[in-house]
Amino acid sequence: MTRGAGPTPKISLRNVGKQFTVRPSKDQPEGSTLTALEGITLDVAAGEFITLVGPSGSGKTTLLDLLAGLTRPDAGQVLVDGKEVTGPGRDRAVVFQQYALFPWRTAAANVAFGLEGTGSDGRRLSRRERADKARHYLELVGLSGFEDRYPHELSGGMKQRVAIARSLAYEPDVLLMDEPFAALDAQTREQLQEELLRIWRSTGKTIIFITHGIDEAVYLGQRVAVLSSRPGRLKQIVDIDLGERSGDRDVRSDAVFIEHRHKVWSLLHDEVRKAQEAGHAKIRPDGSAPDEAPQLSKRQPSKGQLSKGRAA
Amino acid sequence: MTAPTLTKDLTAPATAATGRPPQPAATRRLPAVARSGARRAGRGIWASGAIVLFLLLWELGPTYLATASTRVFLPPLHEVLRALGSLIAKGQLQNHLAASLTRSASGFGIAVVFAVALGLLVAWYRSLDRFLNPLLEVFRNTAALALLPVFTLLLGIGETSKISIVAYAAFFPVLLNTIAGVRTVDPLLVRAARSLGLSNFRLFLKVILPSAVPTIFTGIRMAGTSSILVLIAAEMVGAKAGLGYLIVNAQSSFLIPDMYAGILTVSLLGLLVNYLLVAVERHFSRWRTAVGSQSN
Repeated sequence: MTRGAGPTPKISLRNVGKQFTVRPSKDQPEGSTLTALEGITLDVAAGEFITLVGPSGSGKTTLLDLLAGLTRPDAGQVLVDGKEVTGPGRDRAVVFQQYALFPWRTAAANVAFGLEGTGSDGRRLSRRERADKARHYLELVGLSGFEDRYPHELSGGMKQRVAIARSLAYEPDVLLMDEPFAALDAQTREQLQEELLRIWRSTGKTIIFITHGIDEAVYLGQRVAVLSSRPGRLKQIVDIDLGERSGDRDVRSDAVFIEHRHKVWSLLHDEVRKAQEAGHAKIRPDGSAPDEAPQLSKRQPSKGQLSKGRAA
Repeated sequence: MTAPTLTKDLTAPATAATGRPPQPAATRRLPAVARSGARRAGRGIWASGAIVLFLLLWELGPTYLATASTRVFLPPLHEVLRALGSLIAKGQLQNHLAASLTRSASGFGIAVVFAVALGLLVAWYRSLDRFLNPLLEVFRNTAALALLPVFTLLLGIGETSKISIVAYAAFFPVLLNTIAGVRTVDPLLVRAARSLGLSNFRLFLKVILPSAVPTIFTGIRMAGTSSILVLIAAEMVGAKAGLGYLIVNAQSSFLIPDMYAGILTVSLLGLLVNYLLVAVERHFSRWRTAVGSQSN
């Protein structure tokens, strides 16, 4: 398998940097700049599954936003298929931690959301075609028979399945997943990890998967990219080779798995400590970081802050 | 049907073995059903108790408690109902009701269309909001009825002035709730839609508008109530038909039971309109968790 160094990588980050201007506050009347990412260079091959770990506030989500085209880098280039990313596109799909399902639409209508309007080939799908596709992708994520349910009638795991189906439905090449399983309970998470691997194998998508779980990163990824504490740099990329993992074997208790896990853990450990000492916290969408109590494992996007910045 | 046979099958051997008289599940369940039925009936009685007491007081109070002169101005309920019946029989009530409904429906309709449109624009364009907001605040805090003389002077005492004042009164609740509805759209949904590459217009149509609909309908419901309120007042000042006119005219003609019949119609109409608008609001917000989990 070509590991990044192939002829044209699917995704290529070249010396990417991103800064935020922090609005003036009581403590800092002049405002300041916050460097979220610095000098990130990374190639991802087509069909690869790469996971991204890093301490809180290391710019993981910022990196994903850059790939999704929701923001532009201040330095360097983000290339998909050799072309610079200038905005969101249907060749990439984002799966969010909080599902982001449209509550007024049924599961099937949510999946069909990305199919409405003219597609990348300039063709409009008929209502029947959209419904067929929605049913097909709900089946793929194991939700046959739930087409007419509203999101509030579904459990967290089911909601995330719908969200994954919605992202797959318009057939992007790249799936960008931002801690998609972080809000789920352990059992559901494990189940969905399994399903995601199955879907990845059967569809051949390129997947970039952000997580704060080391186990999850090692279990899912062919490579694990470890980000440093802020400003986020690429600290190291760990190749994961767990061998054949068919059957019901408990991969997580294999010696190889534990070895990889430990490697990622020790790489991350220093960075987490540094982040904690500096009191880094999650970077908010408006570019500020609260940097209050050091928080590591639980991210709490503050709703009020979000709605101020984005609603209009 | 099957439950008693089932319990008999189950309990018969048990009786034989223990010798104790069986207590079939059906008989245990029956009191439970009866109890919950009784509880529901009891709650129903309790909920309508205040209304019943009020009507009783209205019926008996004037006859037994009030002085003769007061009784003239506050006739007992049965006299009012008789007056109501004769108004209906003569077709007068229907005419007044139709006049009032036409006015409030037209004014209300105009208000909803323009308020929703303006609300969407104001919520979308920040600069428009900054420009218009002070003026809107001034108008919003000017009671509609205070402007009634202005409307009458400028538009006469015909239909135009009445429809206009209803539209004015209904405009602001819808406008403010539309703005609030658009402003409180979950930013994550906007992000999700943006990541799909939706244009501004389609984002608005497919995400912002549907998610604002329940809030907009709350405003529409409030507007419905206030449009009737203002209309009745407007009809009292200058009109030749309508429920407000019926009430004032009956008073000045000393047809006191007729006046109360008019008042009763107004309150029933208000209840009905509110009930209908609540039903519509619920229909459009059924995807919301709180409402959905209750109705399902």
